[in-house]
Amino acid sequence: MSGPGGALRVIVGAELRASRNRLVKGNRTRLVALVIVLLFAIPFLGGGTFTLGATAGHFLPFAVDPLLAAAFTGLSLLMLLIGFPTVIASLFVGRDLLQLVVAPVRTRDIFVARLVTAMSANLLISGVLLAAVLGLGAGAGAPLIYFPVGLLLIAVQVLVVTSLQAILMTVIVRWVPARLARDVAAAVAGLTGAALYLTWNLSLRQTFRSRARPDVSGLTSLVQRIDWLPTTWPGHALSAIAGGSIGVALVWLLATLLLAAILVAMAELLYERTLLAGLGVFGDAPSIWRRRSTARTSQTSPQRGEGNPYFAIARKDWLGFRRDVRRLTRLLPALLLPVGYAAALSQPARSLSGFWSNIALITFLSMFMASALSLPSIPSERRGFQLLRMAPLSMWLLLRAKVFIAFPVVVATMLVFSVAVAVISKSGAAQLLELVIFGVWLAAGFVSISVSGGAIDPRFDATDDRRAVGLVGSLAAIGGSLGFAVLSLGALALFLFGEQAAGGGANLGPIPSTPAVGFAMILGGAALLVACAALVGILLWIANSRLRSFEASIASSS
Amino acid sequence: MATSPAAVEARQLVKRYGNLAAVDGVSFQALRGEVFGFLGANGAGKTTTLRMLCGLLRPTSGTALIDGIDIQADPLAAKARLGYLDEEPFVHPHLSGREFLDFVADLYRMPRGRQREERMSRLLNLFDLAKKDGDLIGSYSHGMRQKIGLASLLIREPSVLLLDEPTNGLDPRSARLVKDLLEELAARGTTVLLSTHILEVAQALCRRVAIIDRGRIVAIGSMEELREQTGSEGADLEDLFLKLTAGPESREMIERLLDTGS
Repeated sequence: MSGPGGALRVIVGAELRASRNRLVKGNRTRLVALVIVLLFAIPFLGGGTFTLGATAGHFLPFAVDPLLAAAFTGLSLLMLLIGFPTVIASLFVGRDLLQLVVAPVRTRDIFVARLVTAMSANLLISGVLLAAVLGLGAGAGAPLIYFPVGLLLIAVQVLVVTSLQAILMTVIVRWVPARLARDVAAAVAGLTGAALYLTWNLSLRQTFRSRARPDVSGLTSLVQRIDWLPTTWPGHALSAIAGGSIGVALVWLLATLLLAAILVAMAELLYERTLLAGLGVFGDAPSIWRRRSTARTSQTSPQRGEGNPYFAIARKDWLGFRRDVRRLTRLLPALLLPVGYAAALSQPARSLSGFWSNIALITFLSMFMASALSLPSIPSERRGFQLLRMAPLSMWLLLRAKVFIAFPVVVATMLVFSVAVAVISKSGAAQLLELVIFGVWLAAGFVSISVSGGAIDPRFDATDDRRAVGLVGSLAAIGGSLGFAVLSLGALALFLFGEQAAGGGANLGPIPSTPAVGFAMILGGAALLVACAALVGILLWIANSRLRSFEASIASSS
Repeated sequence: MATSPAAVEARQLVKRYGNLAAVDGVSFQALRGEVFGFLGANGAGKTTTLRMLCGLLRPTSGTALIDGIDIQADPLAAKARLGYLDEEPFVHPHLSGREFLDFVADLYRMPRGRQREERMSRLLNLFDLAKKDGDLIGSYSHGMRQKIGLASLLIREPSVLLLDEPTNGLDPRSARLVKDLLEELAARGTTVLLSTHILEVAQALCRRVAIIDRGRIVAIGSMEELREQTGSEGADLEDLFLKLTAGPESREMIERLLDTGS
């Protein structure tokens, strides 16, 4: 390499070219979708946060300091939780690190170059803070210098948090394999993201109902309790600028910069020692625990009779889920959302009670659960699909096996939830039975449709379950599930109201409540059920023929 | 069905991707109890041909027969008779070695019981994997994965083996074991179609070979027949292979490269 700066430029340049290639030469549909999302997200999210900050700065000038301190601390915590997997992947796990380490490049250059990549997730998160901080300054009528200093302090805070994460990881990696740490961090990040989204969404509903003035006394006392945390220092610096105390601001600013310098230097030093110790991607530390050998202990299937491919596939999937931390961690956040929503919405205080709201909740929950569990079930076979294609099995058997693996899990969740909502909403035994039967019907349909969606457009070469199904498959699953839900709800309504009409007790508006009308409605319900079954059958048939003729990733893998 | 002497037969197999013919009219027969070599340079069409023979890829035209059964017409019957080992065999990383063998045996509906367990143990011992049979395959080395892949074929005693670089990544002792094993299997009537780059292995094991170049078979037969076809008396398989798949002269290219570098 021509020099320290040269090495850094080469590494960062290569990273940027790789990112550009991923964008430009990657999936065009994904690129267009990304641009559309950004075009909507930036003005909506950024503008919304700026407006919120400006409103708070204007109407609550006495709370600018606690607000800024809390914003910097909250966002630092968020970066710490959500940005950790990116830091681990960039500095400790990436295979390309091996190439850099064996090249004549100083460890410091590797650290600095990779730190830029490691900061990417934290930088994205800090965008929210940036909008809020700028809005707060604008609302509070802060001098012009507030804005560039605000920008600088946010960048410094990103650097501080990323360095802290690197330091933590240099310690963790001595006892825990880096890949496992990354997977666990990804799970924590996913759960944090899901919990935040849920909290935001539910609090938004509460906000629209509430007419009370915001009370910042709780926030003020919280900031007083955490005032010793260095994460509050940039907030104090900015509030001092906004209040015109330049001397105080300078003290906080220098303290923040000094802390950043110390943390970056510490991180670089510890990172160098970690590389020299051969940890991370260069040979993981012996795990602090050892996995128990599975020999003999895992012989759980029957010992007599002919081998059963159903059980073999089910057992393999179960063991894979149990042992593959990464798959498990990706599933957890997906499951948190429906369960959280359902639990929150089923509270009596939310005033969503009654049979039909319970039915709606069960429909939503089973659709979400089935999608999370079943949509990637066939694509997640990855190259193992070749093994199944090579075996004397029909693809129809594979589809059935995958449906029967996910079905009991979804049904079990449905049963627990049905009983819970029936108890909360004080429904009788008859309504509980109706909920359970309807839940089982929905679970069977949604699971079959989701498995089919995954089989219609599988991406066996995807390393991430979340990208394992193509656009066509995802649309087939979503469209099919929505269609199935509408038809099923229609059938249920026709059965229930038809039964009442047959007894002469239904209120059907202009339609007379007679046995003939009731009978016709029940017949209509049956027709809708047949349509549901046909929809599922058609999707399974398409999935079967797609799997039988699937070649894409088989032809390209060698 | 089993009256034909050919255990594996490719009849005018063609595989096209758009305008590109990856395999272009390949025909050959591997006889019962024969180790048949299938040789070719990188990208010549070996793996694509093997994948059509085992039913992973559908030929654009032509027929692939296993024990006389058209694999496209009756895939389940044909697949029950054959075992295919990919260049990089897929083995579930989250199963232990023994669990993986159990999984494959169940997929092929092998009867459970002591006989199956004993065969599994014998194979694990043979490939020196017995001590690691409870460890997850994800922790296995490349060679160990290759061996567990081979064991997963042999556990169910297929009559036809299609092997793509089976000695890839094996240490010399294991490579020798695989060679001896293939010879013994062939002597007992198993047909082995062996695709390899290692010409010494092909020369030592194969009664007949087919050489594929740019999707077409350029020569087929025993060593003697190949020497006759090319008029190269006394030549070994490497010389014959290079002659039949003539490309730019490598020695000349090396000299040019080194001259430029100095």
